[in-house]
Formats: sequence, structure tokens, C-alpha cells
Amino acid sequence: MAKPKKRTSSSKKDTFKEVSNDIPKVSSPKQDPPKSIFKDSPVYDLLHYFEKAPVQWEARYILVLTAVLLRSAVGLGGHSGYHTPPTFGDFEAQRHWMELTINLPISKWYYFDLSYWGLDYPPLTAYHSYLLGMIGSFINGSWFSLDESRGMETDGLRFFMRFMAIASELVLYIPAILTIANILGKKFNINRMDQIIISLVIINQPHLVLIDHGHYQFNSVMLGFFVYSVIDLIKNNLYLASIWFVSCINFKQMGLYYSLFIFFYILSQLKSFSGFILVGLTVAITQFVYLLPFILTKPESVLQIVLRVFPFNRGLFEDKVANFWCTTNVLIKYREIIDAAQLPKLALLATLLAVIPANVYLFFKIRSRPSTKIQGLIYGFSLNSLSFYLFSFQVHEKSILIALIPILLLLLIDHKDIDIIQWINNVGTFSLYPLLKKDELIMQYFVSNFLINWLIGPKILLQKKYSLNTVVVWGTYLLMIVYHVIDATMSPPTRYPDLWVILNIAISFAGFSYFWLWLVYKIYKL
Amino acid sequence: MAKPKVTSVSNLKFAKEPELSTTDPLPERESTYSLKNIWIVSFTLKALLVVGYHSTDFDVHRNWLAITHNLPISKWYVENTSQWTLDYPPFFAYFEWFLSQMVPDFVKRDGCLDIVEKGQYGLPTVYFQRLTVIVSELVLFYALQWMIDSSPNFPAKRRTYVAVGSLALSPGLLIIDHMHFQYNGMMYGILLLCLNCARLKRYLMCGFWFSVLLCFKHIYLYLAPAVFVFLLRAYCLKLNYNKKRNVFVNLISFVQWGNLLKLGSVVIAVFTIAFLPFIYYGVGPNLISRLFPFSRGLTHAYWAPNVWAIYSFADRFLIQIYKRIPISRYPLQRLFQFVPELLENDELLKSSTRGIVGDIEFFILPTITPKLTFLLTFFYQIMSLIPLFVQPNYRRFIGALTLCGYASFLFGWHVHEKAILIVIFPMTLLVARDRKLLAPYSLLVACGYGSLFPLIYTSNEWLVKVLYTLLWYIIFYFNLRKVVPIPKKFEAYGGGGIILDRVINGYILGFIVVVTFTSLLDLLETRYTILQNFKFLNLMIYSVYCGVGIISSWNGFYWLYFVDESIWSGDDV
Repeated sequence: MAKPKKRTSSSKKDTFKEVSNDIPKVSSPKQDPPKSIFKDSPVYDLLHYFEKAPVQWEARYILVLTAVLLRSAVGLGGHSGYHTPPTFGDFEAQRHWMELTINLPISKWYYFDLSYWGLDYPPLTAYHSYLLGMIGSFINGSWFSLDESRGMETDGLRFFMRFMAIASELVLYIPAILTIANILGKKFNINRMDQIIISLVIINQPHLVLIDHGHYQFNSVMLGFFVYSVIDLIKNNLYLASIWFVSCINFKQMGLYYSLFIFFYILSQLKSFSGFILVGLTVAITQFVYLLPFILTKPESVLQIVLRVFPFNRGLFEDKVANFWCTTNVLIKYREIIDAAQLPKLALLATLLAVIPANVYLFFKIRSRPSTKIQGLIYGFSLNSLSFYLFSFQVHEKSILIALIPILLLLLIDHKDIDIIQWINNVGTFSLYPLLKKDELIMQYFVSNFLINWLIGPKILLQKKYSLNTVVVWGTYLLMIVYHVIDATMSPPTRYPDLWVILNIAISFAGFSYFWLWLVYKIYKL
Repeated sequence: MAKPKVTSVSNLKFAKEPELSTTDPLPERESTYSLKNIWIVSFTLKALLVVGYHSTDFDVHRNWLAITHNLPISKWYVENTSQWTLDYPPFFAYFEWFLSQMVPDFVKRDGCLDIVEKGQYGLPTVYFQRLTVIVSELVLFYALQWMIDSSPNFPAKRRTYVAVGSLALSPGLLIIDHMHFQYNGMMYGILLLCLNCARLKRYLMCGFWFSVLLCFKHIYLYLAPAVFVFLLRAYCLKLNYNKKRNVFVNLISFVQWGNLLKLGSVVIAVFTIAFLPFIYYGVGPNLISRLFPFSRGLTHAYWAPNVWAIYSFADRFLIQIYKRIPISRYPLQRLFQFVPELLENDELLKSSTRGIVGDIEFFILPTITPKLTFLLTFFYQIMSLIPLFVQPNYRRFIGALTLCGYASFLFGWHVHEKAILIVIFPMTLLVARDRKLLAPYSLLVACGYGSLFPLIYTSNEWLVKVLYTLLWYIIFYFNLRKVVPIPKKFEAYGGGGIILDRVINGYILGFIVVVTFTSLLDLLETRYTILQNFKFLNLMIYSVYCGVGIISSWNGFYWLYFVDESIWSGDDV
């Protein structure tokens, strides 16, 4: 490949010498063949000084530093349950877990005062809390002293917690995204600058930034494990991928949204039955290792973990969430028609109906045409996680993050879809608006949304060709603007205090459903 | 397959680039060099910082809004319900009055415009006042954009763009204006309007903008000598001696009377508009006493990193020697002639290490009087004005401004660390001119901006201030090196220069150690309560480290100003 190119460039040089001395024309054949797709966007305008290969590393540093800067600036705003005793919010839950893990023996972790933010995430979260709690109590013992520190929200503690959220993300999620952008960029011939810009777009999506560093959670850790798992699936390291994946679901059970598809995918990649056994063993051993401290100290706490982590006695959905059940619940009151014990089964059935056909289709597609393997992998994860969000049992509004990350990875496969992918991410952030409003993060919501969309630029996001996608995209944006105007200027009627929230989830649900159909269509066309 | 080849080719190109940098190929993308995108991206950060920490300066400005809104002009400089009395010149008061007319009703209800001893306000007031800072900063962006647009040719535009971009994104402005709370963005915008008028030889406008600036904030009086000499020499004097005429006629014809009259009337008109209402109401003396309070100490609670910081440090150091090494007592006593009884009093020593204003400041070294600081400042300013008088061109002018800023910052009485911007802003305009200036410049910005860190002491903002400054430094360290032309004699000058460059970079990297160390001291002080006694040590490390850096950069710049003729001849940048 290199040889003919060299020849043409040198011959061109000769002809140019005769024709003109115009410098830029001579240097242009040396450049990477694919032009940046972000040519007209502000982010390119800001970063193009670092376009030359030897200085691209500067762009990477700038990317990482800006990401951290954005997170720490968002972190100046409120967190969930700030100044709202007696139970506070997710921030207090995370702090409380650090408090209880460092002060109690492992055998008591999942039993301690369950009514006040009892630990209900899997073991890795507990270990992670333990680690952070140890660091924190080294700095200031009062932050995590048992029972006495409840509801503490001093500036020092807040900064420590914010810093740890950033550090956790910096260790796992951000390097994972940079790595996968690099790998897929090589596979799909994306120019280096675009790899950096796409990583920037993925890393700085408002939904993850606002939930992890505003509202306060550690989703980025789970998502980092997931992205690493995808990386190893791409590299065909099935065993390593399963270790990453088990870590993912052991950090947050919501990682299970991906589990069905990873099962199908690994199955499609296995050449022999012994491989299947080995993968199974890897999963089992990893899981065993994660549970080992509990098994050694108090074996029955394993059962308690399962009961705590999978609360089947809770409702069909949590709070208000833009999924199928909550949205249609406005019209059909499921709780009145169907017995509460039957609801989980109904949800499971619906979820399986939504994903199994596509998964089987992808299974055979990947087996018959291995060249579509990577596309199939990421489309499959996107569709599965979105379906789980839409149809499964006990979904939180924050679970949309789990669907949005694989969807963002689609940018690395086909960057022409950036308008619709950024659109669904905007819808996702929009669906979190009622939650963020409660946390007093409205300004941060608008600013970070503006930032990411402006960086990509309206020329790319609001295309003017006539297609169904464009109509839907423009229509939804219009509805969102109307929603925000209504929300800012009018208070909901007293009879329906939740009316605005329902309006929000209706718009979001419509967006998610459309995108779900689009994903099915894309998978079909693969 | 082709990729590695491509990179190696461009690698080679890059390696060659420094020598070629003046004939650097035009970038493929014809850039318009607009600051719009920079403004928008920095706007988002500033918006996020709105809810963060603000200092008492916020309440100061809120109080001024209240005073100018509620009281007649005659009472503005008399009112003293709050301790934050109005102590900026009249234009700033008018500006506050103008802003107070914009306050929407819901912000008024929040207590934004109440004259009270201590402001009681909530988020609406914060949003409103922060927004006024962000909007008023547009003056700065306008001035910077004008500098780019009025550059004569493409390479100059490119150089100016990078230099000017570093000012638009200045961490100093972010920390002082958007975290601490002040209106420096607008002030420096006006200063740059003045400087660009000087570059374009619009001397009348230059004088106009500078007088406007003085009527906004009188700290710029420190720059006035340079502006005065420059305008006098470039606009009002014409020194060609005609032998046919006698000395007296020649002396008279040296002065361009028409120009002098025009300039004089512009300046007087501006000052009249500013001060006349107050003189009319007979509050002129109040105004003046507010503007120039002479009751403050030599150093601020946190020593600005200047000569006096080093001096105070030396005093503290000698105190320790005096106390710990008995044998040193006699020579020290003989040498400095101090009162040893003072050193016995631990109470007194402690209070002075806290740096409270008005206490005894030096125990061993001789006391510094305001007169001395004034003389030193004046001396170094005069020194820098002589070359300007001989060679009144734009570059000399900026150099003289920088040196006037340096002199006032390094030797002035009661200097704030914030005043470092007065040096950084003019110097940045020059730095894109010559590679040799980069070394003192890097040292100045690293130590100058770094010395602002203790201003924002809250833990939440720690990451923002440190990361932003680091990010800024990385971006502009590399980009300035890409665009700044290398002089032909650079290599001859080089040998020692390169080693010096290394030393300077090492010193700047050492600052990372300082930040880490002092932050660790802060971090661990609840665990090891003994560390709480070292709070002052923390600030002292900052002042001394940055002080040494800034003084060195001053030396470097001074040297180039007097020795290296090639940088200073010419009007373009």
C-alpha cells in the first residue's frame, strides 16, 4: 500500500514544481486520507492546532484534563439529598456504605440497619466503598465514624467524595473509552483527530457527568468494566472479557442488562464445547472469588446479598421512569389488573420478547459473516440494554446510562449516524431532568447540554435532508424546548402535580421507542 | 501500512520546523482567527463556576450596587453603613449605578440592593452579579479580537491569535474574576484598547482610553509613567534641532502644540466628567481619601510574591537563627541594631507571623517605610522610561509598561497578589515577537498565576483552579513555541540560553512539588493537628517560591530590555 502512494506523491511534487510553488497543495497528499467529519464543528476549530501527528498526544492530555475540569466544575453544584434530612439521598447512601464497611466486619455488611440505606449493591461496590472509606478516614476520621457521621455534608467531605468519583472514573472509564476509540478507529479507518474528538464526545456526555458528579453515583466504574469487556470481546479474548463482565455486574447489578447478549455473543464465538466450559468456569471462579470473603466469614450472607441486590418485592418501576411500564401505566393501571407477584414475570416475558429474536438473528449473522462481528457486537449491546431499560422490572431513571454507553460506541462504527446518536443521548439526558431538578442541578444540566451539542455543532446535529430520522429529531427537539418553557413558566395543575414529569417521560419514551425501532432496523440491515 | 510512513514524514517536518517557523506553510484550513469559540467554551466553565465560592469582594460590589442605586451622587463616597465603602474612582461608581438599574425585581427582593452592614442575599443575587462579570468581560474579548483583526499580515495574525488567546483564557482572570469576584476582565479590556490604539498610532484615542481606565480603577496609575512618556514623546514632541534657528525657537518648536492641546483637552475632559459631580457637591476630599488609604501595612496577610516577601522571609529566618544559635546573637545585634527585647515576647512574634495588618512587621531587619518603597518603585520605573524616551515605538512602549508593572508589583506598598495581572497582560503582547522572551514569560506566568492559588482556599474549588491553570499552561507552552519566530542570532545567544531554559523549566516543574506539598499539608491537618501550626508556612512557601520566580523573570526581562536591541526596534508585533 505504501509504495504506490509514495510514488504518486513524489511525482506530484515534480509536476507541482513546474506548475506552482503553492505550499499547501504539496503538503496535502501527505495527510491521512479520510478527512475529518468534524470539519465544520467548533470542537475541531478549537483542537485543530493539535492535528499534526507529533502533537496529537497534547490533544489527548487536553481531552483528559478538560474532562476532569468539567466534572469538578459540575461538582460545585448540588448533590442528591443535599440538606434534606432525615434520609438525604444517594450521596449519603454512598457515604454511609463507606462508613459501614470500614467500621463493621464483613459478615455484617449486608445486615446492618437495613432501613437506613442498607447496602444493596453487589460485593465490588462494597469493596470499593471500603477502599475509599479507608482513604477518607485516614484523612479525616470524623467523616466516616459509625452512626455519628450520618448526614454529614461538610465541604471537606464533599470534596473528598467528588474527588473520589473523579478518580474512579479516571482509573477505569476514561482510559477504557480512549482505548476502544483507538482500537475501533484503526479497524474502521477513522482519522486520529476524529478518534480524539469522538472520545471527547463520548466522555463528556452530560448524562453520565451529571449523574456521577452532580447527583453522585459511581456508574462510571461499572461502565468502565463493561467497556473493557467489550474491548476484550473485540480482541477475541473471551476469558478476559468474561472476567471484566463479571466485575461489571458485581459492581452494579444493572450490568445484567448486558448479560443476555454477552451470552449469545460468546456462544457465537466459541469453536468447541470445551471453550464453552472454560468460559463458564472463568465466570464461576471470578464470581466465587468476589464472594469469597463472605463465604469464609458467614456463608449465609451470600443469600442475603442476593436478596438485597434483587428486590423483587418492590414495584414494577421506581419513581417515574420513561420506560414502557411507567408510561403506559398512565392509561392502564397494571397494579389493579395484575397480581403484584405476577408483574416480574410479565416484565421478564416482555423483555425476552423484545431481545430474543434480534439476539438469535445476530447470532446466526455473526456466525455466517464474521466480518460483521464488531458491528453486531455493539448494535447487540445497544438493543439489549435499551430493551431492558424499556421493559424490565424495577427500572430506575438512571438506568438509561447503561443503554446510552453502547449506543455512544456506535459512533466509532458509523460516525455518519452522529446526528441520531447525539439526539438519543440528548433525549436520555432530558429524561433525567426531573431528577436533576430535585438535586438543584438545572443550571449544570443546561450548560453541559449546551456545551456538548455546541461542540459538535448544529451543522452536524441538525441536518437538513428529508428523511424520517430528521423529522423525528427536529420534532423531539422542538417538543423538548416547549417542555422546558412550560416547566420554567407554569406550575402544574394542583390536581395533577406530576403532570410535567409525565409529559417529560412521554416525550422521552417516544424518543427511546423510535430509537429502539431504528436499532432493530440497523441490525436487520447489517 | 502507509500510516507509520506518513507520521515519520511529518515528524521530520516538525523537527525542522523551528528554523523555518517564519516561513511556516499556511495551515490548510484558512482560519479566520475568531475568538468566538474560545469565548463560548470559556463561558460554559464560567457559568458552572457561578455557584461556587466567592470572596467578600462579592459583598463589596453588592454594597456598591446598593449605594449607587439608593443614594444621590453626593452621598456615594460618604456612605459607610457597611465596612465595604466605595473606594474605586467615579467611572466605576457610574458603572455600578448602571448595573444597578438592570437589577430585575426578583433579584431586588433577594436583598441585592439593600444598604446593610453585611449582605443578606441568595442565589438570584449571585447569578445576577456573576452574569454582570461575564457580560462585562466582552469588552476584553472585543479588544482582543480587534488586536487580531488589525494585525498587518497572516503570520502576525497567527502569532497575535495565540498570544491573545492566552489572555482570553487567562487563569488569572478565571480565578480573580469568576471565582474570587472582581471586574478585571473589563478593566484589562480597556487597557488593551488603549494599547492597540498605540500600536495603530491613534495617540489621541490611546490617551482617551487610558484616562478612562484611570477613572475606573486607579491601580493603573502604576502604568501611567510609561503611557505619559510614550504619548509625550511620540505625539507631543518632535526632536529635530534646526541649526538655523536659535535655541529658544528650537525649544518651542520641539513641542507640537496642536497635538499637546488636543491630547490635554481629551484627558482633562475625561477627568472632568468623572470628578466634576463630586467636586460640585463638595465631596472631593472624601473621594480622594477613599481612593488613597495610607493606613495599611507593607505586606498583605498573604504576602504577594515580591521583594518584600523575600525580605519578610529573611527576617523570619534570622529570628529563628537568633533564637536557636546563641553564638549568632551578637553579630546579628551589631549588624542590624534591633531591639532584642521584642524577640523575647512570644505573643508579639506569633501575631506577626499571622501577618495581621498594622503590627510590627520586622524584628531583626530594618523597617521598610512607604517612602522607601515609593522611591524604589519610582527609580526602576524611571530606568525603564529612558529607553522609551529615546526610542518611542510600540514595542518599547509595551516593554516599558511591563517594567513599570514589574517595579510596582515588586517594590510597591501593600501589593496584592492579584496585581500580577498588570505585568502579565502587557508582556503577553510582546512574547509572540521573539523566542528569547519566552523564558522570562514562562517563569512569570507560572509563578504569577500559581501565586493566586491561596486566594481560593476552599477545598471544592481546588481541583478547578489547579487543573485549569495546568491545562492553560500546557496549551500555551506548546502553542507559543510553535508560532514564535526564532531570531537569527538565537543560536549564538543559545549555548547558555538553552541551559537557562532547562533551569527555568525545572523551576516551573518544581512548582508542582510546591502545590502537592502544600496541599498535602492542608489535607492532613485534621489528622495531624500539629500541622495546623504550619498554616502560615504554607502561604510562605507559595510567596517565597513564586517571589523568587517572578524576580528572576524580572531580571531576565530587564536584561533583554536593555541589552538586546533587536527585539525592540519596530512597531509591529
